[in-house]
Amino acid sequence: MTFRTAAFISVCTTLLLIWILESGAADVFLEATRPDFQKIPLGVAGIQNNGGPDWLGGRIEEVLKADVRRSLVFSLVDLPSVGIKVSDLGPGPDPAFKQAGEHGVSVIVWGKASMKSSEKDKDSDIHMDGFVYDAGSDEVVGGKRYVGSSSVARLMAHRFADELVFRYTGEPGIARTKVAYVSEQGSARELFVMDYDGYDARQLTADGFLNLMPRWSPDRRFLVFTAYRNRNTQDIDMIELATGKRWTIVSLGGLNITPALSPDGNFLAFASSYEGNSELYRLDTRTKAMQRLTTNASGDLSPSWSPSGRELAFTSDRSGGPQVFLMSGDGSNVRRLTFEGDYNAAPAWSPRGNWIAYVCRTPKKEYKLCVITPDGQKRVQLTMGPGVDDSPSWSPDGRHIVFSSTADGKSQIYMINADGKDLERITFTGTHNSAPTWSPAS
Amino acid sequence: MRTISARLCFPLVLGFLMIGMPGCSKKAVQSGGDTQSSQQGMGKASDGMNASASDGSRSGPSTNFPDTSLSGRDASNGLRGLDKNPSEERIGGGGTLLAKADPGSAGRQLEEIRAEQTASAAAGLRDVFFAYDSFSISEEGRQALARDVDWVRANPSAQLKIEGHCDERGTSAYNLVLGEKRAKAVRNYLVELGVGANRLGVVSYGKERPFCNEHAESCYSQNRRGHVVVKTGK
Repeated sequence: MTFRTAAFISVCTTLLLIWILESGAADVFLEATRPDFQKIPLGVAGIQNNGGPDWLGGRIEEVLKADVRRSLVFSLVDLPSVGIKVSDLGPGPDPAFKQAGEHGVSVIVWGKASMKSSEKDKDSDIHMDGFVYDAGSDEVVGGKRYVGSSSVARLMAHRFADELVFRYTGEPGIARTKVAYVSEQGSARELFVMDYDGYDARQLTADGFLNLMPRWSPDRRFLVFTAYRNRNTQDIDMIELATGKRWTIVSLGGLNITPALSPDGNFLAFASSYEGNSELYRLDTRTKAMQRLTTNASGDLSPSWSPSGRELAFTSDRSGGPQVFLMSGDGSNVRRLTFEGDYNAAPAWSPRGNWIAYVCRTPKKEYKLCVITPDGQKRVQLTMGPGVDDSPSWSPDGRHIVFSSTADGKSQIYMINADGKDLERITFTGTHNSAPTWSPAS
Repeated sequence: MRTISARLCFPLVLGFLMIGMPGCSKKAVQSGGDTQSSQQGMGKASDGMNASASDGSRSGPSTNFPDTSLSGRDASNGLRGLDKNPSEERIGGGGTLLAKADPGSAGRQLEEIRAEQTASAAAGLRDVFFAYDSFSISEEGRQALARDVDWVRANPSAQLKIEGHCDERGTSAYNLVLGEKRAKAVRNYLVELGVGANRLGVVSYGKERPFCNEHAESCYSQNRRGHVVVKTGK
């Protein structure tokens, strides 16, 4: 490398750093999904069973590896395939770790899990120790010690994975996030919440009719959603996850759908048809003042806040079929965002601000996921093939999208990277799972 | 229906008594309530607050719309960082985060749905079917509604409800709007034929209560529907 190239690179790096710092104030953030982002090679040497049920170490290791892979911050290295065999995992670094570092592995994690032999009944505590070796400094940079009931083995792995992401990026990670969704129970549709990887699903509502399109509160203690009062009128209800307590927050008559709380929790945007046709409104959650945001003879719905809370993306059929529009949070400065195709709906603004995901109808009349930049300059179709894709929702790190699809027959829930890679199905049971919505980071 | 109304109404009445507001009448809103003012809607929003208050929990507007912002929360996202000598962290179960749903009311709801279906089947009312993406009523649909009007005239005390349904193609949200357009198109045509608008409620179920579940046009055409039912209960 010549001196001139080196100087050029250092100038570029400085400019990039300035841009990163400045963009923190705007709606666009630098993200680890940029094509030139180098994932950090990480190997999991193993979670050893130190006297517990047979499944324990293996389960934690499996969950940890899946979390590391989905973080998109690390690339998961298969250590044996690069010639690293670790025979005994103690608290100190194995001699083989340095060798792995020379093979380009930056981080090695390992650990042990145990359940005391005297307490092998189901309710006894499990213990997990996790260690992190950094090849850069050739030392064990730290670890974690967890204890909890045997039902939280997966949560221990999730928490450890988030600590790894936090250590190397300063971000909280997504392994402890949850997905709320709608699941068919008989002829009813009820709200459920599961871990982001599809495990540990729990039912939240059980009123025997329709509970639709949940959205999280910024503090992830509540969901807002559409419920049917007496089966005849939609209201917008709120439910507290910890207690199951539920109450009505909007009850205007007519259609009251697609609620969305602003990122600061100060406004609830929603669609209501109580004045004739579906229009968008904004409720100040502190003063209870309600402001109408749209005025036209067409349907306006599905508001999605920009991460700054200053703008809304929404669906409107004012130009014929549904299209995605943008406007300021007070209803001013309306402009159409999507022009390709005759059906574009259900926008979801990325928490990083740089993309809006939505459902696009292809020329073959297939309903697929698309993403578009808020300036409309770049549009990418993320999913292909048969099946109706619906309800995209971003992970809080802006690297994944969860959505429903009938690609495998019944409607089930899937996740996909923001760049269209790593399509993964996360629900496998039931007759119908839909309307997933990803929680904020904890 | 009655049991649910009672369940809702009891705490509401209590709430009203507590703060001296007039009656429970606002609760009995019809689905076609296009003329309500926003004041009324927000009034009902505060009903929710009263319902919560009478449950014995916190009172005041904060119960109705709690502070859901992140202000004042631990900025470290619950993570404590890696440590060379880590102290033990106890991991709470996921079970403490989420309440368990009470499946009690589902059975009552099912009974009421069956009663409505039975009454509607006995009346022999005809439905209107729509083309893909469309909410305009076909000639066939007009004929079906003309026959429905005969039944409505013969049963002057009956209330009808028109359910708008859609096929599975398209988004859940937009199909709720499309379903409402279909239901209102049916209502408007029935009004043209002389049925009193006060006898006709509309509700949209979008693609959430399909009549069949196959991914084929023969099924889709069944689900693009204005379903005319006899309203039982409230």
